[in-house]
Amino acid sequence: MNGRAVANEFTKMRRLRVAPLVLIMVVGVVALTCVTFTAPGFLDSVDDPDARPWHWLLAGLALAVPLVSPILLAVLASRQVDMEHQGHGWLLNQVSGVTPGHLCRVKFLSMGALVAGATLAQSALVVALGRAVGISVDLPLGPWLGYTTAIIVVNLVLFALHLLVAARVPNQLVGLGLGVLGVFVTLAGTGMPLWSAHLLPPWGYYAVATPVDTDAGGVVALDPPYLSVLSLGIVGALVFLGVTRMFDRQET
Amino acid sequence: MNSFGRAQHNESVSNAIITHDLGKTYGDRPIVRNLDLRVPEGCVYGFLGPNGSGKSTTMKMLLSLVRPTSGEVHIMGRRMQRSTRRSILGGIGSLIEAPPAYGHLTGHENMRLVQRLLGLDQGQVQRAVRTVRLQEHLDKRVRDYSLGMKQRLGIALALAREPRILILDEPTNGLDPAGIEEMRRLLRYLAEQGITVMVSSHLLGEIDRTAQVLGILGNGRLLFQGSREQLFSRSTPDVLIDTAEPERATTLAARWSAVREGHSVRVPGVDQAATARLVSHLVQGGVPVHGVRRQEQSLEDVFMDLTGGRGL
Ligand SMILES: Nc1ncnc2c1ncn2[C@@H]1O[C@H](COP(=O)(O)OP(=O)(O)OP(=O)(O)O)[C@@H](O)[C@H]1O
Ligand SMILES: [Mg+2]
Repeated sequence: MNGRAVANEFTKMRRLRVAPLVLIMVVGVVALTCVTFTAPGFLDSVDDPDARPWHWLLAGLALAVPLVSPILLAVLASRQVDMEHQGHGWLLNQVSGVTPGHLCRVKFLSMGALVAGATLAQSALVVALGRAVGISVDLPLGPWLGYTTAIIVVNLVLFALHLLVAARVPNQLVGLGLGVLGVFVTLAGTGMPLWSAHLLPPWGYYAVATPVDTDAGGVVALDPPYLSVLSLGIVGALVFLGVTRMFDRQET
Repeated sequence: MNSFGRAQHNESVSNAIITHDLGKTYGDRPIVRNLDLRVPEGCVYGFLGPNGSGKSTTMKMLLSLVRPTSGEVHIMGRRMQRSTRRSILGGIGSLIEAPPAYGHLTGHENMRLVQRLLGLDQGQVQRAVRTVRLQEHLDKRVRDYSLGMKQRLGIALALAREPRILILDEPTNGLDPAGIEEMRRLLRYLAEQGITVMVSSHLLGEIDRTAQVLGILGNGRLLFQGSREQLFSRSTPDVLIDTAEPERATTLAARWSAVREGHSVRVPGVDQAATARLVSHLVQGGVPVHGVRRQEQSLEDVFMDLTGGRGL
């Protein structure tokens, strides 16, 4: 049942401009990260381990991701759900054995896979471009993978939140408004002390996951609290399952 | 006790849908009360009631989309429950409140979704599409469909699973007369194929001649259930007496609440025995009675009577 329902979700993405949106998410992040290449002296020190070129690039990535992702995730979630409100799809699916909460979970699986893939692609493309401009220093694999995994988790939690809002509130302007608000919360989070960013889930966790810090011309590797991000993922999953269960029991 | 059990058994064989004391309350507002529906297999069952009388709510309870506050629903002899609902729903095609379909997809793509979800074969989909005569329009996007085409696609989506029961909530809503006539023909055709069709409407005229059995809902209560003929016989049409002296006849028949109407006298609510007494009373009083007849009653009048003049 799940496999068929997931396949249906991909059919339903036709003509919704999902591919361009996902592409914008990838290209936007990669392009913003590449601004790092234009920093004075960056391209001259691509083989100097002390200049830590990869860490600079990671800093660029950590700046670009929270700028681009929140709003696009809101738009993607809204696109997936709005058609159910418009086309009376909730009922159509329910009488075919897919309850509303189930439908939300299926949407999370299908579109969530694309979101995770896009996030992975962002990270991988930045590495590829780094190599292309000649960075020969060893890639700091741990921080890089750690950050990539962390933002996949944060992106998925945020996407799930937007799915729930879009499903609960038929007026999609509400979800999109929340997305815009999220951008500000995210930006505010990056300027905050770490503990207060913790209080703004899920947006604040883009800041929590930040793997490097730049100051006065230098870049230092941080030791981000991966446990916090893991907790966000677990709590997010539980809340999502709980709320979609509730949708299943709700009457139409 | 024994005979009751047997009766119930027989009932569940010949009735596709049975409800016992079905009720729904929102907050403290009862929306549907004490509903005992009997929808015989293979007929068109017209489910009538004014706006807000609870038709959609009832149909949603039949499909277990809304949980009843009280009572039971039995479909094809099986009690609708959490555990049975999935398999029961597999045998019911339905269209509730508005025709569903994704506007950005073509008719074909929409059919494909249901086909995949229910594991149907190509033949089933094609038959459903041909039954509603939509095969010419399958490659068009649904957002470019007319309302009539959307309704037909909605029915095709419901029919593809080859259901034994079809539950259609106001499928004629918004259709022009030709569209309504076509829908009627379709419903009759489906019933001929052995499908039990339960169809709701707030307009009696739309399903009056199509339905073999009528259920009339008013304020959440079942006011009548039975055939058209039974419906007529239930209410007593007015007696009209033609006479050369209507004035005197009206006075004489005052205790029957007679009213003068031109050259005749109208007497409401008298059955056959009372009519005989009334006529003999008039004749004894010397009134020249030229004719006694019953007012032709339209189904609309009966419906209005039953629903307290709120319908139609
Ligand atoms: N979820 C709900 N919560 C509260 N009240 C509801 C709900 N759903 C329906 N009602 C109320 O129940 C009543 C019956 O509604 P229903 O839609 O069943 O009527 P209907 O006979 O289908 O009417 P119509 O001909 O307009 O479609 C209405 O007064 C409606 O306001
Ligand atoms: Mg209704």
